Amino acid sequence: MVAAAELGHDMPARLGGRPPHDEAPWIEVRGLRKSFAGAQALAGVDFDVWRGQVHGLVGANGAGKSTLVRCLAGLVAPDAGSIRIGGVEVAISSPQVAQKHGLAFIHQELNLVPHFSGLANMLLGRSKRKRLGIVDWRATRRDVQGVVDRIGITFSLEKRVDELSVAQRWLVSIGRALIGSATMIAMDEPTASLSPAEADRLHAVVRELVAHDVAVVYVSHRLSEILDLSDTISVFRDGHLTRRASRGDFDRSSLVQEIIGRELQPEAEADAEAREQQHREGSGDGPLLEVRKVTRGPVRDVSFSVRRGEIVGLGGLVGAGRTEIARVIAGVDRPEAGEVVLDGRPRRWGSVGAALRDGVALVPEERRTEGLFLDRSVAFNLNLGDLKPLRHVPWLPLLNGRRARRRARRLTEQLGIKASSIAQPVGSLSGGNQQKVLIARWLTRDLRLLVLDELSRGVDVGARADIHAIVRRLAADGTSIVAISSEIEELVEFCDRIVVLAEGRVAGEVSGDDMTPANVLSLCYADRDEHVEVPR
Amino acid sequence: MSNVSQPVDDGRVELRGRFLSDRATIRLLLIVSRYATLIALLAMAVVFSIHSPRSFFTYDNFINILNQSSLTALIAGGLTVTLIVGEFDLSIGYAASLAGVLVAGLMSHQGLSIPLAVIATVAVGAGIGTVNGALVAKARINSVVATLGIGTVLVGVSYTYTNGQPIAAGMPDSFLNFAVTKFAHVPKPVLVSAAVLAFLWVILNLTDLGQRLQAVGGNAEAARLAGIAVDRTKIFAFVMSGACAALTGVMLSSLIGSGTIAAADSYLLSAFAAVFLGSTTLRDGEFHIVGTVVGVIFINTGINGLSIFGVPTSYQNIFTGGILVLAVGLSTVARRYTTR
Repeated sequence: MVAAAELGHDMPARLGGRPPHDEAPWIEVRGLRKSFAGAQALAGVDFDVWRGQVHGLVGANGAGKSTLVRCLAGLVAPDAGSIRIGGVEVAISSPQVAQKHGLAFIHQELNLVPHFSGLANMLLGRSKRKRLGIVDWRATRRDVQGVVDRIGITFSLEKRVDELSVAQRWLVSIGRALIGSATMIAMDEPTASLSPAEADRLHAVVRELVAHDVAVVYVSHRLSEILDLSDTISVFRDGHLTRRASRGDFDRSSLVQEIIGRELQPEAEADAEAREQQHREGSGDGPLLEVRKVTRGPVRDVSFSVRRGEIVGLGGLVGAGRTEIARVIAGVDRPEAGEVVLDGRPRRWGSVGAALRDGVALVPEERRTEGLFLDRSVAFNLNLGDLKPLRHVPWLPLLNGRRARRRARRLTEQLGIKASSIAQPVGSLSGGNQQKVLIARWLTRDLRLLVLDELSRGVDVGARADIHAIVRRLAADGTSIVAISSEIEELVEFCDRIVVLAEGRVAGEVSGDDMTPANVLSLCYADRDEHVEVPR
Repeated sequence: MSNVSQPVDDGRVELRGRFLSDRATIRLLLIVSRYATLIALLAMAVVFSIHSPRSFFTYDNFINILNQSSLTALIAGGLTVTLIVGEFDLSIGYAASLAGVLVAGLMSHQGLSIPLAVIATVAVGAGIGTVNGALVAKARINSVVATLGIGTVLVGVSYTYTNGQPIAAGMPDSFLNFAVTKFAHVPKPVLVSAAVLAFLWVILNLTDLGQRLQAVGGNAEAARLAGIAVDRTKIFAFVMSGACAALTGVMLSSLIGSGTIAAADSYLLSAFAAVFLGSTTLRDGEFHIVGTVVGVIFINTGINGLSIFGVPTSYQNIFTGGILVLAVGLSTVARRYTTR
């Protein structure tokens, strides 16, 4: 156990914990740095991996753990720092180089070819060859059989990968890594979409891997499995590896505190409900939006409500189900169970268009792929959201070009969108200005609810303040807001109330004085099996 | 999101010192390529005119080129709409051929009046487009496969309808005269296709439907999340290409004076060549009606000039096919460099 006082400090002056093995680490990372567009993802990280060990990585969204793994996998080129494998310094410039050095990387998208069989995927570019490049099928079969036995593949490898379950695809990916004689396998959120039984199976395979002297780097938000599985645990916060310790040096609450980086305020959560009640009584009328027991994909039985003019944040870690909820609210997807109630009326929108007619609009998560028409002009992107009022006469679908340009110009001025002209392709604008375009698209409509999936991701500080002001003004005029941000600080600063999701369920709500980053984050880590931090 | 702070490796720095930067070179090339088709068209006309001033550089020949272009322009105009939404329609040539025999048959066998027969035929074309569109948008079949399949079905329908015989007798004279007579000194097919292309231009550029078509082609997912009914928009595009193809078949029947099987099949290739060539004209790999018209005139001027040169007609396919490959290549390159 670690004393609580030790946890408060921010800088990794000296890493705690003893080296878990006497032998030298297999992979040594020193001083690794990486910035994305000025934001530091890794601020000089030292990191070791031993063979035959599970090294668990934990930290909030954007703490740097995924970037580190991606550097090892050759998917991201570090700005500075060194990586040594087996004592030899290597430059991992591409995934192929990583593979050559025995480093395998498995993440949620799994990099498999969907319409190839499991076997074909395992062998992709890996089959044993005789001279002249002819496949040595006997040796190849022997390799595959060995791997199949080792990780206990019981399904048919002749099946196409897109017919396999997610858990089975994981096994194919692991098998693929083993056939490539991987000495290290990094897994990013392997159990995020697995059932508990499937997760147990995967854990057994992981144990099997380390028993055969493979190193496993295991990234997960699920603290119970990290605590259960890891020989060594490294905690990331703001691009630093803030603490490394052996199994047993952490328990659940000390791990949460280390991830959050400060002391919890236990009394803060207790009266959240009381305040919530107060709010409700204060505002008088019923809620504009009620989400009732909505189930869809990873989301299970999610309920919450939003009042008129209220800004409600959806907090949670990657994979907690925030985007799924946002899409259901905005009419993109239909709920599998439960309902969305707007202004007291249950609504079953089948499309975004239907939701829009009820005054519900969405700013999607992926700005460039789901929101914008990149090679089209600013004016095109702005006007598309509301074309009817631009007609010469309402009953004839002929657009008035002058009116369209005038409206686009008015919106750019109103929101301070920096573009050389409204004819500039929107793809050449900065992220902040692009986000403003997406919000502006809906402003000419009679909005009752605006759903922002990622309020201001990849947006500079100035534009972020602008966006906050724009949305606040909207809320002040009576539009309700549902906002998602992976930056907890931003949610806390921006929202009236935050509904925190964990593993597809509502883990709790915070508002008023309880709305602190630490409280939100501790709710993010609320496990289904351990209801310690959940209020009410 | 800027890459300004990214370190530049040595090779690139040297390159920058010696030449223009990559970006500026590409931009220059793009500007040149925007006018390349027009410049080449002009050059071609000048060469043909110098070579054979008496046969090429005459008013009659220009009218002739326009006349030949009008049918290709009609079918290519419809195809432009489908390509704008990001789908292929390979059935248009076969649909036009079917329409040709159908309109002839409706008049001579079924005894329909000219307007009724034409309207019914165009409606069948729109129906074919609806089927194509439903297969692509609703059943999510790849548009190349779906329209190739439907196109082949249409070939079969043509043969079944005609028993393999051309329909020549029994068509009213006013129908046969239509395509070979003029109104106000302009051949009537030119007027018809000018009217249809103007209609398509208005739809694409001045209506909300046009904005939606452009949006669906630009980024279907973003269009869906912006509240656009992507399926319906795509089906509409196929209806346009089907109806235009049918009208092309009707005009062709009037021109050649009979409903002949497979008469319009070759329009498929020239339509694609023209639309892709047009997409690099004045824009950077973006399909548009004005470009399509330029593309059609380019191809027909080329074919016209070649035949005046005495090049055998079999070489026309080599010319058109070559233009298609070249145009698709240019269009792809242009789009690749502008979308970043």
